Amino acid sequence: MASALRKVLIANRGEIACRIMKTLREMRIPSVAVHSDVDAGAPHVWMADEAIEIGGPRSYLDVEKVLAAARSAGATAVHPGYGFLAENAGFAEACSAAGLVFVGPSPAAMRALGDKRSARQVAEQIGVPVVPGARECDTLEAAAAAAERVGYPILIKAAGGGGGKGMRRVASRDDLKEAFEGAERESRAAFADARLLVERYIHPARHVEVQILGGRDGAVALGERECSLQRRYQKVVEESPSPGITAGTRRAMCEAAVKLARAVGYTNAGTVEFLIGPDGAFYFLEVNTRLQVEHPVTEMVTGIDMVAAQIEIAAGGSAPSVPQPRGHAIEARLNSEDPYNQFLPASGKILMLEWPVRPSVRIDSGVREELDVLPYYDPLIAKLIAWASDREQARLRLMTALQDTTLLGLSTNQSFLIQLLESDSFVSGQTYTTTVESQTWEAPPVPEAVRHAARRLLTHRSERVGVDGVPLDRHSPWNTLGRFRMGV
Amino acid sequence: MSWVEIEFEGTTHRFAAVKTSEGVWIGWRGRAVFVPRETKDAARGIEEDTVRAPMTGKVVKVNATHGSRVREGDVLVILEAMKMEYRLAAPHDGIVEAVHCAEGQLVDLGKTLVTLSEEA
Repeated sequence: MASALRKVLIANRGEIACRIMKTLREMRIPSVAVHSDVDAGAPHVWMADEAIEIGGPRSYLDVEKVLAAARSAGATAVHPGYGFLAENAGFAEACSAAGLVFVGPSPAAMRALGDKRSARQVAEQIGVPVVPGARECDTLEAAAAAAERVGYPILIKAAGGGGGKGMRRVASRDDLKEAFEGAERESRAAFADARLLVERYIHPARHVEVQILGGRDGAVALGERECSLQRRYQKVVEESPSPGITAGTRRAMCEAAVKLARAVGYTNAGTVEFLIGPDGAFYFLEVNTRLQVEHPVTEMVTGIDMVAAQIEIAAGGSAPSVPQPRGHAIEARLNSEDPYNQFLPASGKILMLEWPVRPSVRIDSGVREELDVLPYYDPLIAKLIAWASDREQARLRLMTALQDTTLLGLSTNQSFLIQLLESDSFVSGQTYTTTVESQTWEAPPVPEAVRHAARRLLTHRSERVGVDGVPLDRHSPWNTLGRFRMGV
Repeated sequence: MSWVEIEFEGTTHRFAAVKTSEGVWIGWRGRAVFVPRETKDAARGIEEDTVRAPMTGKVVKVNATHGSRVREGDVLVILEAMKMEYRLAAPHDGIVEAVHCAEGQLVDLGKTLVTLSEEA
């Protein structure tokens, strides 16, 4: 048992806060949740042993408020989750200064590897292959020069952060100015940091990342995840193992990842991202110095609880020994958005929610029925992860789970996820970073039976008695009567 | 809210359904649709003539001016929300009737940003 972590505050919300608390419960470690005023009814608030309201919607980013909450609750450690303050070295330092254990890498390791420029430099120094490009391109002229050198098409990226923010693909010199300015604007807005870098645009490419855990005795790699299916650089579906790399490449990438971790003395969880080019060569992209959204995929094939490993490492322990991975896991991210209308974010009250309960299907959810999904935060509602002994079976399990999930009240990408899992690209494993955006996704036609049902339901005046004999209120005493027909 | 069974063309179909004051949500086999109650707007398709803010955010670019002719898909407003840029496009060909926002302005979810009229 980790003795140094007596009480953990989760500086996050939604599904990840809930997920972290599940492990804390199992480890018998009391949890403290913080929440914004608008999140007062959210599941993570009610799951925690204690909950503290810390202010308006943006409070999760407020270092002072989070630390004040930790102080008042007597927390001894802070788990930052992902996003928000998770990769903020200043926050990690402030935690230490306040006598709190930060469940994550050291500020120094975060700085060394979290910044894209610095990480690229470390990789170059230790002989890990990188994407041809230039580390520093803070002026249009510098970007143009780098682009000429590596050749168009190029990618402009923000040095200070990820998630696709501040990123622009540039096909030719003509498009450079607008792209550069847009990238600068977005980067400054997202990270208060307008530093950019330029890389050759590798295409078609797979995005494959390696999970690392660094502990007292060094770092280990827990295998890879393929995350090529992205939309605007946000991952949509992830899986492990990658269907597109050889055992040799897997071994080499894991070795490179561990080498990188060791070079900076990396501790706790991290992910080393690589791009696999059309020739099968791999190139280091960046390191995410935090637990990632898609970590369940690795947990399902290794059997390792990553949050538990993080807690133990934070308490001074070693990284776990890595078993041989088993089977195949695929994750789908369920978002509150309209996939058939530019994926515009959706908000609204979840009026009905039923998850499938299946062996080998895991659901990490941050919502409940009657919850108002708000426009202030990222659209991730829940993750569905299916495991099976082979990829095709995992795909079928995940698809079935999505088909058997009922969520009514606001638009989600549920139907799009099913289409994606049914697509030829996914079935064949030919998944690249352009796969999602290169196809048009159209709403399947609405069956006539559904239109008929809608008409019947809308014209029927009563709320209590159902159409064709089945009650509309699932908690109604009418349910005990069994099947019956009413005045046809 | 519940499961309903509807007879249609000789087959019994099972759907999840929730009625609201505005219409009904129906779910089946991993899909969900909202069918609004019959109103003038619903018959035409909701909000065909307006471009609204899908989220609370900041208007960073306005490409529409009163009286200008636009084509379906033309980007009229770029909104920055949750640190990403959203390109809001004209829902159909038409003429810009009015622009209700300005660059730099903070707008709430649902605010009408541009109204269009049909091509004459």
